[in-house]
Amino acid sequence: MTATRRRRGWLSVGGVLITIAYLLPVYWMLATSLKQSSDIFSSPPDLFPSPISLTSYTETVVNHVGIGRGLLNSTVIAVGTTVVTLAVAVPAAYALARLRVRFVALLMLLFLVVQMIPAVNLALPMFVIFSRAELVNSYVGLILANCSLAVPLAITILRPYFLSVPGEVIEAAKIDGCNTWTAFLRVALPVSVPGVITVAVISFLGAWGEFVFGLALASDEGMQPITVVLAGLTNSFGTRWNDLMAVSVVVALPIIVVFVFLQRYIVGGLTAGATKS
Amino acid sequence: MTTTVAPPGTASSTPARAPRRARRWGDHLFVVPAVIFVAATVLYPLIFNIDLSFRDVGVAQIVSGGAEWVGWENYTDQLGRDEFWHALVISLLYTGLAVTAAFALGMALAVYFNQRFPGRNIMRSLLLLAWILPTVVSANVWRWMLDGSYGLINTLLEAVGLVDGDVFWLARPVPALFAVVIATAWSFTPFIMILLLAGLQGIPDTLYEAATIDGAGAWRRFTSVTLPLLKPVNLTALLLCFISTFKTFDTVFLMTRGGPGEATMILPIYAYNEAFEFFRFDTGAVATTLMLVVPLGLSVFYFRSLRREELS
Repeated sequence: MTATRRRRGWLSVGGVLITIAYLLPVYWMLATSLKQSSDIFSSPPDLFPSPISLTSYTETVVNHVGIGRGLLNSTVIAVGTTVVTLAVAVPAAYALARLRVRFVALLMLLFLVVQMIPAVNLALPMFVIFSRAELVNSYVGLILANCSLAVPLAITILRPYFLSVPGEVIEAAKIDGCNTWTAFLRVALPVSVPGVITVAVISFLGAWGEFVFGLALASDEGMQPITVVLAGLTNSFGTRWNDLMAVSVVVALPIIVVFVFLQRYIVGGLTAGATKS
Repeated sequence: MTTTVAPPGTASSTPARAPRRARRWGDHLFVVPAVIFVAATVLYPLIFNIDLSFRDVGVAQIVSGGAEWVGWENYTDQLGRDEFWHALVISLLYTGLAVTAAFALGMALAVYFNQRFPGRNIMRSLLLLAWILPTVVSANVWRWMLDGSYGLINTLLEAVGLVDGDVFWLARPVPALFAVVIATAWSFTPFIMILLLAGLQGIPDTLYEAATIDGAGAWRRFTSVTLPLLKPVNLTALLLCFISTFKTFDTVFLMTRGGPGEATMILPIYAYNEAFEFFRFDTGAVATTLMLVVPLGLSVFYFRSLRREELS
């Protein structure tokens, strides 16, 4: 008994060391962002920032107009993508799981195949189409582009959740006077809330971190998402690594916050989207 | 047993059918928006792109349209270019190396974190942070970690005596390829780990116990029990990882932009440059359309392995 317990203790220690080593880049990002400009070029590098300096945040991040604008743009795009994705994907996933719909297998295959398409393949024609429709440099264009890949992913993730709603429950609701629509809204949807949250979180995170569509479809600096702004700063900041890491932390922060509070939804959803057809 | 099914079209079946058909039509309203949406935002652009690849699109025609149809000319031109084939080779090399690294490491982590010990669930989730981080962020961090003069990686490698002097990772062809492979594998590994953990949890403990009684050591248990039983999961994870890595754009674009020279010029960046750097949307359309062959071709095997995994 004690031998097993001791073994498990050592396994825990090993696990902690592996985790720390693996997440070293994340720590290094945070540590560098808290260093003074003079300290980032010390050799060998200091593992801990001393003194801790918030200048990169208080001077660079706050005062840079492009960063604020980029964060705003990304928020609008990510929220818009999440809302549109939910509105389109939730009813579709329900119908493909629980209603009498034709071509279910074919449609699920289509939604899965679509996810194999590289973003560049869509960004290129979209730029031409959007140029003609005057949707380049617009929230509508960027949200549509983000949804193009988010909707099929959302449907593949959501369908298993609706499949696990027993058909008898829906039938019972119909006997009690529900039509297809109210049975969906009042019975199936409430018990599938975890799935809906998963899809919302994944759509939001995906759109927040998205880069290719932003790069291709938002040439106007005022319309660029924060990811594209950050990529631009890597050129203009040069070796101001502490400032660059501070911006990186700000970009990563919403992701990390969402991850910490909603990680049980993310982990299940990511693997479900990848392996269930 | 004695009831007979009315043949279709008989009077008795008609009244029963009418409401059913009506209900089905209503049911379809749930799916139609999604189908139209995907058709408009994915299928239409893809077909539009193929159409572009057969035309001579100049800068003026991007907005105005009306580009001249040139048939296969763009394709023969593109397939005759060394740059295209170079990009394909680099893409396959980059993908192959990154998938191998991510898979080996992901497998090792999955086996370790499949053991029972306190805190393993939290540690697993924490590792997933590497996967969930925006690639723009991780690419930037890796650029800094791999900095030639002040990067942490060189310091660590020097400390253990693996390198002597500064390695300018992103300025030299071969190290640059390794640099983008490392950054990519770092992101993908936790994802592989989670996929494989799901498979590992399906292997009953009794098999390991039986193997132990038969005198099998840890390595033997891994090769004789874990690997064979994980085979369907492995194949699915490998194919999925290969497809996702092959279409990766961000990490490489942000770390090297395809350089130095053309050393890390993967196909997605090559196609992007054709269109958005040189405004050759026709050749860009050819390159992206040809690029599609790899992920779509592999997806056939992916779906087959998915089905096999579900059956097993």
